[in-house]
Amino acid sequence: MEPYKNILTQPIVDMHNVSIRYGKDPEILSDINLTLDKGSFHFLTGKSGAGKTSLLSMMYLALKPSSGTVTVFGSNIGYTSREDMAMMRRKIGVVFQDFHLLEHLSAYDNVAAPLRVRGMSENEINKRVKELLSWVELDKSLDKICSTLSGGEKQRIAIARAVINRPEILLADEPTGNVDDDIAFKLMKLFVELNKLGTTVVIATHSTDLIARYNYPQIHLENKKLKIIPALRRIKNADQF
Amino acid sequence: MLINFKMRQQTELPLKEDKANFFLQISTGVSVFLFSMVLAAYFMTSSVIASWNRAIIDGMTVQIMPSTQAISADEEKVRIGKVIHFFENLDGVEKVALVKEKQIKRLMAPWLGANADIEALPLPKLLNVHLKNGKTFPFEKVSEDLKQDFPYASMDNHGLWLKKLVKSATSVKTLALFVLLLVLSASILSIMYAITTSLKVHQNIIEILHIIGATDNYIAKQYARRASIVGLASSLVGTLTGIIALRIISHLSSGLETGLIGSASLSATHWMVLVSVPIFAALLAMCTSFWCVKHNLKEMY
Repeated sequence: MEPYKNILTQPIVDMHNVSIRYGKDPEILSDINLTLDKGSFHFLTGKSGAGKTSLLSMMYLALKPSSGTVTVFGSNIGYTSREDMAMMRRKIGVVFQDFHLLEHLSAYDNVAAPLRVRGMSENEINKRVKELLSWVELDKSLDKICSTLSGGEKQRIAIARAVINRPEILLADEPTGNVDDDIAFKLMKLFVELNKLGTTVVIATHSTDLIARYNYPQIHLENKKLKIIPALRRIKNADQF
Repeated sequence: MLINFKMRQQTELPLKEDKANFFLQISTGVSVFLFSMVLAAYFMTSSVIASWNRAIIDGMTVQIMPSTQAISADEEKVRIGKVIHFFENLDGVEKVALVKEKQIKRLMAPWLGANADIEALPLPKLLNVHLKNGKTFPFEKVSEDLKQDFPYASMDNHGLWLKKLVKSATSVKTLALFVLLLVLSASILSIMYAITTSLKVHQNIIEILHIIGATDNYIAKQYARRASIVGLASSLVGTLTGIIALRIISHLSSGLETGLIGSASLSATHWMVLVSVPIFAALLAMCTSFWCVKHNLKEMY
């Protein structure tokens, strides 16, 4: 019975005794243990410099831990080949606070990039990109070069690019920071819908409003350590953090 | 719709606008020009060496001095015939031919003028003796026998002095090969420099591409494609310039009395190799950039 149970409950991200330091600087995160199950939804919180970006970087395979083990999709990233890492990244959507867009390309090409990387046909790309850009209300800005767009528009392109591949993990760093309330609500609705379809979602945010509105557990980083605050307990004891 | 669709099929890396392109174009163009010139020199030297080697293997010239006494034309024919007969009976000789007066006149023209009456001059008769391939010919013994039987005839073995020329020309050929390798190495290094610079310039874009799941091959292919286009275009210019320069040199040298290096010409195969240099350059640029990108990406991330 045990192996059967393991397959069903195998975490999508598993961090064991993970520490991160850059060069000879002091540790940013120390002895972190975290398990994210498939289909879970978490907010990632903590003060600026608490290590949120570093934790997310490990999840999207851009950073290897200084010590400890990080397992994503069942593979220890310390022993995964570059080719396999690329294949794994295709199943992860990332939204950055500063967008990380290809500024010289159009909105269309930015959103199409993850599909082109996968070698999808241009017909299929055309269909999917137009549909998604229409959904984020950017269908009239398809051919506009990203560097000419506003912060809010860039934010929506970044989100469209992150979700176009229907990722298994969606990581977002302040995804609603640059958009108005209506768009923010719409984007959160998109994340929730994706989560219902099985996508594991982690959203890094400082917005207490956002956290309060959605009843999801919180990964909180403080003093190099990680605490999980379950959704219900957090609501009951919201003042503790 | 089609135009719009095609326009959207672009690469993520803005390599077309890369400043390193200009450097790559100039360095490839100059390298290919030099490569074509040195390659042509290499081919020409090879042709000369081959023709000299053929001359060494092929045979020798026999000189029959005119008689000191006045003799009739028939007696002269007999004198020459005896020498021809002497060589025809030797083992290893394939053919003996008397050099015609017309040919001697042409050979002497630079000294005597085109309209000189050479029949009135006491010029020696010449025999071209062609040897059989692969046979060792006892030059010294034959020379002594000839001297003994026909004191008015003497042998001129081309090999004795041509061998020295072949040796010098082989050194020139080796030098040309070394210069070719040098130009090739310089080209590879300049491509690598341009690619490394470009990778640093586009580091942010490459990071984004990696995050969205691009493999190193995907990124390397974009560089390889661009390098092959730049390589082909600039090497076409380089080769064309080289061919024009060769034609000019060939035209200018045609007015000179080349004599020994008269055989320094390019064959059809040589021209084909020269014309295919841009394709080779494009392939080299493509492979070098692909390998260089893959290697650097491994080092960078």
